[in-house]
Amino acid sequence: MSGEIGHMFIHLGVGGALQVVLLGFIGGILSGFIGSGGAFFMTPGMMNLGVPGVVAVGSNITHKFGKAMMGSKKHGEMGNVDRKLGAFLILTSFAGIRLAVWLNSMLFAGGGGGSHGEGGGGATSNLYISLVFVCILSVVAVSMLRDALKSRLKAEAAEHGPSQKLVEFFSRLRLFPMIYFPVADVRISLWVILVVGLATGYLAGTIGVGGFIGVPAMIYVFGLPTAVAAGTELYLAMFMGGFGALNYALEGMVDIRLTMLLYLGSLFGIYIGAYGTKVVREVVIRLVTGVIIILCVLSRGIAIPIYLRELGVLAMDPRYDALFNGASKALLFVSGITGAAIILFYVTAAYRRRNRMQALLWTAPRRTEAAAAG
Amino acid sequence: MRIACISRGSYSRGKEVAETLAKKLGCPCISREELVEAATKAGIRVGKLETAVLKPHIFTERLALEKEHFQAFSARYLLERVVKDGDIVYHGRAGHLLLAGISHVLRVRVVADMEYRISHVMRQMNLSYEKAKRYIEAVREDHARWVHMYYGVTWDEAQQYDLILNLSQMSVENAAAALLTVSQLPDFQVTPASRRAIDNVLLASRVRVALAEREDTSGGQYTVSASDGAVSVVYPLYQAHAAEEIRAVAGGIEGVRSVACTQAQTNLLWVQERFEPGSEAFREVVSLANKWGAAVELLRLDAAGENCEGGAQLVTYGAAGQPKDVKTENNGGIEEDTSEAGGAADDGGLRDTLAELARMGRSGGGRAVRAAPHAAAEFVKPGVGYTLAVVGEVFLDKGQAARTRMSRELASLLHERLRVPVVTVQELKQRYLFNPKSIINLLLLSAVAAAIYAAVFLNQEAVLDFLHGTGAGSRIPAAVCVFAGVPLIAYIYGTVARLVLKLLRIE
Repeated sequence: MSGEIGHMFIHLGVGGALQVVLLGFIGGILSGFIGSGGAFFMTPGMMNLGVPGVVAVGSNITHKFGKAMMGSKKHGEMGNVDRKLGAFLILTSFAGIRLAVWLNSMLFAGGGGGSHGEGGGGATSNLYISLVFVCILSVVAVSMLRDALKSRLKAEAAEHGPSQKLVEFFSRLRLFPMIYFPVADVRISLWVILVVGLATGYLAGTIGVGGFIGVPAMIYVFGLPTAVAAGTELYLAMFMGGFGALNYALEGMVDIRLTMLLYLGSLFGIYIGAYGTKVVREVVIRLVTGVIIILCVLSRGIAIPIYLRELGVLAMDPRYDALFNGASKALLFVSGITGAAIILFYVTAAYRRRNRMQALLWTAPRRTEAAAAG
Repeated sequence: MRIACISRGSYSRGKEVAETLAKKLGCPCISREELVEAATKAGIRVGKLETAVLKPHIFTERLALEKEHFQAFSARYLLERVVKDGDIVYHGRAGHLLLAGISHVLRVRVVADMEYRISHVMRQMNLSYEKAKRYIEAVREDHARWVHMYYGVTWDEAQQYDLILNLSQMSVENAAAALLTVSQLPDFQVTPASRRAIDNVLLASRVRVALAEREDTSGGQYTVSASDGAVSVVYPLYQAHAAEEIRAVAGGIEGVRSVACTQAQTNLLWVQERFEPGSEAFREVVSLANKWGAAVELLRLDAAGENCEGGAQLVTYGAAGQPKDVKTENNGGIEEDTSEAGGAADDGGLRDTLAELARMGRSGGGRAVRAAPHAAAEFVKPGVGYTLAVVGEVFLDKGQAARTRMSRELASLLHERLRVPVVTVQELKQRYLFNPKSIINLLLLSAVAAAIYAAVFLNQEAVLDFLHGTGAGSRIPAAVCVFAGVPLIAYIYGTVARLVLKLLRIE
């Protein structure tokens, strides 16, 4: 490939292609299991292979479109998608995204320092995104882990669902009009949905990981079962992905080869992840999600000194940038691979249990009685 | 052959009473600590079993087997000492429950003044009053949990004991003297019948321990009983392949004259909202029950009644479908007149189905529960000996998606509670998940997917040229192709992935 095409789209050898498939597989497992988490892993992963940031984002969001479609279809078959709630959230979250894009553009225009990493913009914008990421996701992860660990310590994990404090608080408010969502089997005030949708959209537009906010918000604010929150989030992601794919394709920034290679891994991964939500206990889902988010927060936190240096707030030797950047990316990969490994471990254990049960069901011998003198 | 079992709490001076009594009787005093040490030396993970009482989620199938092993080992240990030493005094947690069936065991519970126990703990462990009190209560709760988990009884219940000694007004010496007097009563002397019971329990526990210690037979839960040298071993369905080994192990124990090995009659639990004899689900369950020689117990779950007045309600039915009793949450468990209460209500086809099962010789009785979905599993008693639970159509007032999800959650709760496989009726029907139609679909879609991938990767430059274009206008067809083509590729390849996983039974 030569010219502009060669500049935009990388040469793909067998090794590179296999790495993209692996990225897709890990991202798919995370996505199917926790309803989010593919993009945070796959986009920087592709950038590490030399794909320009904007093409990585464009190809990934296009991939997200089809992947979320298949994922939400699978979750839907399992009764995990509340389409009515999804419709309400889509409308409000689009408004939130617009707000975030506007705010981000203002900060980006303000500039400050050079560009860095996947943020791809000015240091002010990168610092803002990183700080929002670290602050919000720290709260989410700590709450989630504390809640899950408390359930474990009480040895009531099976019966103990997520904390219901926020759910009870909002349900006591009873702000008219209350809307009933039949799949999730909950009644939520329209105003609470609007606020959560707006906040989810704003954060998705700001830090690009709406699922990390949307899923916990649906669990802790709406009182949705974890599996339904993950399924509904994928349903939302399908629309957001479609919108993004169309926009990036119009800009000519979609590398369809990367999208297709990602599918080779992710569509297997997403089914395995969705299977995991069916066979793994709810408390484990929350623990795994919490651990992955904490590691992502650390990864982003490590990159903050670079932006502070670029803005002149921190007097740091620029040679350390590569170190911080490398550590940040390494931690990101550790979080993705660890999360996928934990999920695979539980899924394999459940799979083996199920096979034993199937063997018991279908190959059991007829009742035999044997009595003999000893 | 006098046997006194003294059940004691922490710092209740039960140990002192036991030791003083043993001295008076001139016999050995065996403590729970000694028993645990011997079991640990024999390879039983007693520490892990203790932890499992506090953290039930770690109670695996393997630990359940070790629990049985430990119980049999304990009974054997105590009775071998009885045979060797004549009389024994044992002090620990409800040791008499290990020796069930031996009538002359003197069952004693020793309790002490709480203030005395607290001050003792404060001194010995250097704790504040509140902390010492909390510590004693925590230990008491742990012991109660252990006894409940192992024997299904309440530790503190007075009916469990022949004598309860309160040491707040009595010295250890006098308590031991009182016990000595009681132990000399004719009720607590060995009789020919209780001597035979000792021999039988000892022989059964020796066989059970031997089965646990042999690798071939260690993986099963057995019910072992003995009568004058004739040993009966009931083994589970999944140990059918080891029937010969079981017989050989049991036959090799000294004192065994004959061995009867019988595969267990199993129980299937079928949970559904409305039953119908003759339905496809009924045929599937009955077919499985016939195959296993199992009885089917029905549990009718009326989750729609969660908001009904009077709270949760349980109606029990006999094997032929006759109502036996009704319990309502708000009446303190007082049984009502069943002929009216149970008979008049809509039973969702439960009685007819039970009658049909009874006719086929497969009825295990039934229950109708009216409760909230999350509380429904509470009505299923662990320890009944179910081999499998089947979840049918439940939560009928909910939409299809909510019903699917809630049924799955109920299955998960049942699995947690019963520790047996739980399947849905659909799974019973779908014996072969992968049918010929799936194979054709897989081959066809794999070919289409391969063709698409080949077309793109063999013409990479042309494809990228088309997608990147040169101007915004020329990109519209490219964007349309991406927007329409990507979901198509995802659908085709996604279906291939789903079918491959279905083939691997990851569904």
